[in-house]
Amino acid sequence: MKNKSLVSNIGIRSPLMLIIVTFLCVLNPQVSIAQPIVLGVPISRGYPDGVDAERGITLAVEEINAKGGVNVAGTKRPFKIEISDTRDLEPGVPVAEALLAVERLIIEKKANFIIGGPIRSEGALAAMDVLSKHKTVSILSAGVLSPAYHKRIADNYDKYKYCFRTTGNVVPMIEGTIRTFESIRAKKGFDKAFIMVQDVAHARAAGSAVKDGLEKKGWKIVGHEVYPTGATDFSVGLSKAKDGKAQYLIPWFDMPEVSILMKQWYDMKVPALPIGYIHALKDELTWKATDGKVAYSVVLYAKAGSVATRAIPMTEKFVPAHKKKYGVEPRSEWASTSYMVAYILKDAIERAKSLEPDLIIPALEKTDLMGTYGRIKFDPKNHQIIENGDPKETAVDMWAQWMDGKRVTVFPDKIATKGLELPPWMK
Amino acid sequence: MNIFIFGLVNSVILALTASGFALAYGVSRLANFAHGALYILVGFATWLFLNRLGINYIGSILLSIIIVSIIGGGIYRLFLIRVKGMPVSEIIASLALGIAIMELFRWRGFISEAYMLPPFINGSVSIAGVMIDWQRLIIIGVGLAMMLFLWLFTHHTKVGLSFRAIAQDKHASMMSGIEPDRTAVISLAMGSALAGVAAVVILPLGNITVETGYMVLTNAIAVCIIGGLGSWAGVFAGAFLLGFAQILTAAFIGPQWQMVVVLLFIILTLICKPSGLLGKQKELEERV
Repeated sequence: MKNKSLVSNIGIRSPLMLIIVTFLCVLNPQVSIAQPIVLGVPISRGYPDGVDAERGITLAVEEINAKGGVNVAGTKRPFKIEISDTRDLEPGVPVAEALLAVERLIIEKKANFIIGGPIRSEGALAAMDVLSKHKTVSILSAGVLSPAYHKRIADNYDKYKYCFRTTGNVVPMIEGTIRTFESIRAKKGFDKAFIMVQDVAHARAAGSAVKDGLEKKGWKIVGHEVYPTGATDFSVGLSKAKDGKAQYLIPWFDMPEVSILMKQWYDMKVPALPIGYIHALKDELTWKATDGKVAYSVVLYAKAGSVATRAIPMTEKFVPAHKKKYGVEPRSEWASTSYMVAYILKDAIERAKSLEPDLIIPALEKTDLMGTYGRIKFDPKNHQIIENGDPKETAVDMWAQWMDGKRVTVFPDKIATKGLELPPWMK
Repeated sequence: MNIFIFGLVNSVILALTASGFALAYGVSRLANFAHGALYILVGFATWLFLNRLGINYIGSILLSIIIVSIIGGGIYRLFLIRVKGMPVSEIIASLALGIAIMELFRWRGFISEAYMLPPFINGSVSIAGVMIDWQRLIIIGVGLAMMLFLWLFTHHTKVGLSFRAIAQDKHASMMSGIEPDRTAVISLAMGSALAGVAAVVILPLGNITVETGYMVLTNAIAVCIIGGLGSWAGVFAGAFLLGFAQILTAAFIGPQWQMVVVLLFIILTLICKPSGLLGKQKELEERV
């Protein structure tokens, strides 16, 4: 009798529960089990830049999903991340690997959007045709500083209209660099610099552009040296900078070995302040790892957001959230840009009320959002993020100086929290 | 003076990184292409013992070197012994093991620029007007001490003499009771330990990356080819030649040409004297 009673109870309860759930779903669409929006993330997971992008995207997606997801024409749908390792930052890995990763995400994982990478310009440029073939909207948020990317979109809009980029490119980076150096000259009066760059395309181009730009402004460039990737000794260049009485070193490196340069600079007490694109010095843990030998070095971040600043309110939420989840502050700019890319997409989907590329693309072109690196707007002709140094108007870069174990924003002036400091052996 | 001091440092760094590779090849005629992997293995292991397990610096270093010696000997005992006598297979097997070790670190997330070892002594000193840090001076000291140690070891110890005997004439040494496989295990273990010593003194200059392993292997091979495989004096001659050539190139031509100079020296050596500056291998064939 007991068994019969149990069965009959289950028999009554199950349809009852079903009716209640259905009733709730009809009344409140947010409770319905909505199909997720799949975000394909092709990144190089074996490199810090890839890890930064993954962390930024994951954090944003978790925040968005915790608040119910994305409102697509009245239905709340969660984001779902599908990551594919492109390995494009690893030496010797062919571009085809990155293309396969992108195509796998679109075909196998049914990605609605591609965000994050590929991170190397070569991989991202090649992937544009894949995105165009599959009519899949993509927003790059890590690496890829080549101007060729947005030029291709401008030259052939109909074919490449699916591609957007928030990372910026070297042209505004150089313009920002020249502006920063002019600001330094106005404050400190120094006008002699020594340029040291890595032997890779973007660094060589940046070194030459900075040299030309500064010379036009009346600066004296006392040396311009190119170092092979993996170089482990910079003593000769540092001695030349010292002998040439340079007041600034302008390093432009993305290789990890550049930490040797900074340690040598500190140990040799070279009286020239390092200020440049020094990728290996972006990590919050660098100070401890080098016993403070990165002190006074000034590092360029292509976009702000890795350090909290009152001038950009969203950084005051993002940086602590990143620290809470991962135990460290955001390392490179790609954590900040990748964090925002999920919010940019959410905003565009909610305005377009659809996932259809034909509706999403115009919505993205009309993006106007305050983010972790200022005001986010795309140029509708080439889908490049707009930037000019004022976070209230556009996206901004960030120059942070290592002071007492912390990264402190010193430029651009509109987001700076402190003035530039010189090491004791330069005073 | 600047060029002399930093040229000396650069040369000793090259000699240190190549000595383990040269020792293993000189005795067992095995080119250990896992050499670079063992170098970074010591770096990461020391970092882990120091920062994760809280072992003191000297203890971490000793423990790492002991572990890498066991791994080095194990590589011969478990893998290379099976392909001994087949040079191409030996290279493929050791290179595959090396890549597996290095990529294992990448896979496990050892990719941050913050993996660094502290210098033995912080600070710098002025020598003839040139500021140089203590760590680089320690490298010179360790390099010179290692040269002396290797000479004393190979000339005044039973194991060292057996190394030389095997290197000179394997069959004659076997008739004298020297066991070649046992000697090979010891030579690979010692070669790995030398890679470890090099790692712990050189890595505090920068950071520990997976790519460093590939770079160290390339440099070790370059030094051994130029100096002569199987010759101790050749290793140091090759290291000093390359070390000063790189610094002079950086000073007078441009640092981006440093690698070109290395390759040029290799090509010239292979054309003019394939056995290397002081190498014994193939010398007879060259004479013929």
